[in-house]
Amino acid sequence: MVDDEIERGNQQKNALQQWLFNPFQFIAGGSALLIGLAITLITAYLGSLSNTHFDGVLDLHIGKAAPLWFFLTEVLIDWLCISVVLLIAGFIVSHSSFRIIDVFSTQALARAPYLFAAIAVMPKGFVRFAEYLASKAMQQAPTSTIQNSDALFFVLGTVVVILMLVWMVTLMYRAYSVSCNVKGGRAVGSFIAGLIIAEILSKTAIWQLAVRTGLL
Amino acid sequence: MKKLPAICPACQNQLNIKKLSCQKCSTEIEGLFELPPLARLSVEDQEFTLQFVKCSGSLKEMARLLKLSYPTVRNQLDKIIEQIKDVENQE
Repeated sequence: MVDDEIERGNQQKNALQQWLFNPFQFIAGGSALLIGLAITLITAYLGSLSNTHFDGVLDLHIGKAAPLWFFLTEVLIDWLCISVVLLIAGFIVSHSSFRIIDVFSTQALARAPYLFAAIAVMPKGFVRFAEYLASKAMQQAPTSTIQNSDALFFVLGTVVVILMLVWMVTLMYRAYSVSCNVKGGRAVGSFIAGLIIAEILSKTAIWQLAVRTGLL
Repeated sequence: MKKLPAICPACQNQLNIKKLSCQKCSTEIEGLFELPPLARLSVEDQEFTLQFVKCSGSLKEMARLLKLSYPTVRNQLDKIIEQIKDVENQE
């Protein structure tokens, strides 16, 4: 009886771990695409409220005010860059046939942790302290006065962002591994190379967009 | 009836069939018979293959039945295909 309860508890723990770190065993395709894109766009909207730019596949920066469409386009560029690069990597490395929609949908869902990162940097205290540090770094006069609790908001927010970044990269790798059926050293090597290429591509594309639309 | 083991529990080698018997008339045939490729798969993989055939080879239907994603089911099938190819190459 006690053994059964322990067994059931272990199974629930394993299921939770699977859902947190490899949900793609259970969800992919159209449903993952819809949920992933919805979460990604909500993340961009929340980011726009605190001028948080997702200006690269892995990037999150407090920056200048911009219209909502720019924040939404930033996250879509991030998602498209990583998906296309990993799709090409999958074609090169994988010995299996796989569906293109699974690569795009799982990569969209893998970006879900950044929703929590966007929430973590929303408090005004975080933004004030970030602006204060930026003005210090550029040796300019601070634009706003900081309050006692701002540093606490900044430290807590930064910790959450780092944890969410690690979680997101883990999910991106799992998404790539499951959707393209690649494992081991080939999977890790091609994923790291793909991530670096996608990061460069997305940063360049977003920078170009900002320049061409006069936002920079 | 017990499930047919494919791997020797002592040395992990491939098992063969030495004796067959008819349950109706008790006729017994002795010899050395190889297990067919599908019978050499693990019990889980045999059950997966059986289910796959019952689903008319539809991975989508399999994914729905097993409550797994399409790529996970397809990866499992790819693993079984690799195992069958290995068995065929050994022969």
